[in-house]
Amino acid sequence: MWETLAQAVINGLLIGGIYALVSIGVTLIFGVVKIVNFAQGEFVMIGTYISFFLATQFGIDPLVSLVVSMPVLFVVGVLIQHFLIRRVLGPNDMPQIFLTFALSLLLLNLSLMLFSANYRTVHTSYSDEAWHIGGLYIPVAKLIAFAVAMALSALLWIFLHTTDLGRAMRAASQNRDVAMLMGINPNRVFAVAFGTALALAGAAGSLLMPFYSAYPFVGQVFVLMAFVAVVMGTLGNVMGALIASLMMGVAESLGIQFVGADSGLIVVFALLLLTLAFRPSGLGAKRGR
Amino acid sequence: MPWSHRGNAMTGDRKSSAINNAPTNVSPKKLNRRKFLVKTGGVLAAGAFGAVPLRGWAADPINIGALYPTTGSMAQIGTGCVAAAKLAVDMVNEAGGIKSLGGAKLNLIVSDVQSDTTVTRTETDRLISGNKLSAIHGCYASALTLIASEVCERAKVPIISGSSSDQLNKGRTYTFTPFARASQFAKAQLQMAKLVSEQAKVAVIFENTAFGTSTSNGLKELAPGEGVEIVMFEPYSAGFTDASPLINKVKASGANTLFSLSYLNDLILIVRTVKQVGLNIAINGGSGGFVMPDFYKNVGKAAEGLQGVAHWNHDVNDDAQKVNAEFKKRTGEFAFEYAGGLVAQTFMLADALERAASADPKKVREALSTLDVSSGYAAMAPGGKVKFGPDGKNVYGRPVGVQWQNADLASIFPKEDARAPLIKT
Repeated sequence: MWETLAQAVINGLLIGGIYALVSIGVTLIFGVVKIVNFAQGEFVMIGTYISFFLATQFGIDPLVSLVVSMPVLFVVGVLIQHFLIRRVLGPNDMPQIFLTFALSLLLLNLSLMLFSANYRTVHTSYSDEAWHIGGLYIPVAKLIAFAVAMALSALLWIFLHTTDLGRAMRAASQNRDVAMLMGINPNRVFAVAFGTALALAGAAGSLLMPFYSAYPFVGQVFVLMAFVAVVMGTLGNVMGALIASLMMGVAESLGIQFVGADSGLIVVFALLLLTLAFRPSGLGAKRGR
Repeated sequence: MPWSHRGNAMTGDRKSSAINNAPTNVSPKKLNRRKFLVKTGGVLAAGAFGAVPLRGWAADPINIGALYPTTGSMAQIGTGCVAAAKLAVDMVNEAGGIKSLGGAKLNLIVSDVQSDTTVTRTETDRLISGNKLSAIHGCYASALTLIASEVCERAKVPIISGSSSDQLNKGRTYTFTPFARASQFAKAQLQMAKLVSEQAKVAVIFENTAFGTSTSNGLKELAPGEGVEIVMFEPYSAGFTDASPLINKVKASGANTLFSLSYLNDLILIVRTVKQVGLNIAINGGSGGFVMPDFYKNVGKAAEGLQGVAHWNHDVNDDAQKVNAEFKKRTGEFAFEYAGGLVAQTFMLADALERAASADPKKVREALSTLDVSSGYAAMAPGGKVKFGPDGKNVYGRPVGVQWQNADLASIFPKEDARAPLIKT
């Protein structure tokens, strides 16, 4: 019993690390640029395809291809911010929603056209490996993905708290107008935020590749959990999104283990409703606000 | 794709009306592709004629319609089917065509049904009304074949199909299904579980939509009669991110065989996770994507020893081996169940045409209904014999149990069809 429980928690935490990378991206964009990026999942998908093609064409390990997928998606993010998002930032939310939604549809259908709906996998030496400790097992590929995800989250936290640019991003997320009055260039800050968020999505895609498949809808599987985690961890709060993502992963795993294999999401959404009922602004909100 | 539906609802301003116009811009392209396929088919056929000295009384070619999804989500298997259909027609023509019709050649007219039920209906209609067809074959995917066969019934053109849905045998007189039916697959799977262990304890996990629930219920009903104990029966939501919790449950159930009624992506995750857990269990992945060359490419070595069921396999007899070698030469892959079955189906049509001595679809149907073969390419099927009952079902049809061995699919069940021993994992 305890063994099963411990195994379920381990499984949940490991997949929660991937959810975290996606949800941190969403929450970062929301916090700084104040828009909801519905296309975040599609950038995860692009990340998986970059890793897939680098692995099959050049024999590059998916984990190594992180150094390609992250910069590529960072640049894509900066360009999208500069040429698309910047033009719809204004008092009205609707154009922003339509823009990112359209972007999601466009990327999804473009990838269907280019790559077809087939599942593509990369087989690495560690794809099927697992460490066995007592009665428990830890899949190596997922452990690596989790460790890298946590390391990237920590780097982001350090960046946001110790560098000028990071502080400027946090300032812009707290109060955009005052930040601008203090001499912060919003376009630059927004572009970096958008690029960073997409780079994280790309990282999630690359980290997934050793144990998951690349296919056009892959992003949609992860983006749902990411949105739940973003809301639960308080919109715009990076640490909140991280913690909520890990909780979601564990909740889903426990749900499948102890409620029913088709009930993982029921537990997740029940947890979300409970959180919203008792802490309407989410777990990351400061008390008394 | 719920997102794209919502996308269509975005109407109102100028930009979105441009989106709404998009489909009309797309369809001519698709039409062109269709025309292209038809034309290339014609050119190929013309090439075949060129080889034969033209005589004054050269017989008119016999048109055979081929309905397959060569674009869209089912395109991969669909294009493989078209390659097999072309190979089959070449084989019939090289052997002298239909002798009772003066050596008439078969002319394949391919139509792309785009993996879409609505398109299948209009394409079948268009194919029949635009050409003088003697027979049709298609569409591999049951959902599409059901619709195509309705249209064929109304137009009174015989259709012969490798699809396994039992519904194709209900109230139809122009539909012929030479291979095992879906209902037979479940029984074969249960019997295969007993090969692994006399005390078969089966865990059934299935995705919780129509495909998984209907197939799993079939297994549950048949299990007691086959002496198989089902120790776990668990639905799951397709498209999960992590199979570990599910495999944890399988481990706890004490099963010695796992039936996974899953779509390909989930199945890959399940197989990998079983390996990681170090769980010693026989896995039966069923049919469909599992018995395709791509499955092995995706899963790699972890696929070794996995079992499944198919309606055709390339090692059933020497003729099948020959077809397999030729198909491999043309496409680089072994002849998968639909491809090999399709070659057999084409020879069944040729046999019927030969006996009907007419290209009239009604007479071809008559001849198909009295088909009775036990040798040659037409009989190249598990069981080795083809004879249609009044419901269009091959009375000798049975599935073949297969296992992935050395990157190839080996027939292991039933005994009469086994070409390799079962490898216990």
